[in-house]
Amino acid sequence: MTIMAQPAPSGGGGGSAAGALYDIIELILDRGLVIDVFVRVSLVGIEVLTIDARVVVASIDTYLRFAEKCGRLDLTGGRQPVGLPAIVGQITEDSAQRKAKGALTGAGRAIADTIHDIVTPDGRN
Amino acid sequence: MARYVYCFTDSGHTLPLADLRGVGADGTALRAIRHEGLAAVVSDAPEGLRPKRRDLVAHETVLETLISAGPVVPMRFGTVAPDDDAVVAELVRGTGRYTELLTRLAGHVERNVKGAHEEDALLADLLAANPQLRARNEAMRASGGGSQPDQVAFGEQMALAVEQRRTRDAAYVVSALRPLAMLDRHAPPVKDCFANVSFLIPAAAQDDFDAVVAQLRTAMEGYAELRVSGPLPPYSFVDAVEATV
Repeated sequence: MTIMAQPAPSGGGGGSAAGALYDIIELILDRGLVIDVFVRVSLVGIEVLTIDARVVVASIDTYLRFAEKCGRLDLTGGRQPVGLPAIVGQITEDSAQRKAKGALTGAGRAIADTIHDIVTPDGRN
Repeated sequence: MARYVYCFTDSGHTLPLADLRGVGADGTALRAIRHEGLAAVVSDAPEGLRPKRRDLVAHETVLETLISAGPVVPMRFGTVAPDDDAVVAELVRGTGRYTELLTRLAGHVERNVKGAHEEDALLADLLAANPQLRARNEAMRASGGGSQPDQVAFGEQMALAVEQRRTRDAAYVVSALRPLAMLDRHAPPVKDCFANVSFLIPAAAQDDFDAVVAQLRTAMEGYAELRVSGPLPPYSFVDAVEATV
């Protein structure tokens, strides 16, 4: 479990595999092609790396921690930025415009359309 | 001898393997096993391989280096074939499938985005937004913290509000970045993250992707942080793209 002792890199934004390992470890272990006729090394003990976030939120320990924390909060402190939903809406519009005039044209777009026609990825909100 | 398999790629790939080292204590040498238009990148499989940090980094470094030079179909960590013949047999068996997969993935990379709230800011905001929760918190504070059953009941209400906000903010992140992506996929849940989402994007769209991430970071400053990884090999999209072959 020494791999878990590594702090998350601050700032993010790519970088070397070594530095960013913490944030992609579940992809390396849980995604990628699996070929039935090949074997995989045992990952015994590694499952604790990824957890069901819901389980953590819905526990007595979490309830008590939230209650205790709320009791100590300085309610004049940090908040959700004012107007966040509207700002996100603007960012989403900007993103769509970037797409319209950007790289998602031509062949790439055609592939995307094909994929979207056929696949409904899991977990969409 | 057993072979550790990193990825499949096409024979047109430049395969810059000389400076790379594979998994294992001594950093095993890499080589390509070729069949018709395909190549498998392999090394000797070390005895007793375990998912140590060193080996995960080696696996990832090989794949990140290769994706920067051409398309790859990444294997899941720890994939071991009994010998070279078994690797060739797989390339023979799946020639059409892997060729098509590489064609569709060409020019695309995976980017992963993790979002985590600043918990104090999140809780303060939920209290500010909900008069009932705020009143209950004030009452408990006035009575010296309240009984444990009261704390549990109040904490549960807060947890419910937190969960709703996590879902909403994950949707924000996805909706803002989805226009730039061919596909998106939720990655396995990770502790303390409200969002863990991977996007398959054209390599050429990465600047736009980073610009939108920067806008989101600015919008959520002091409330949530976004951690972005990549360009990565398309770990999360092999299955989905495969389904279109």
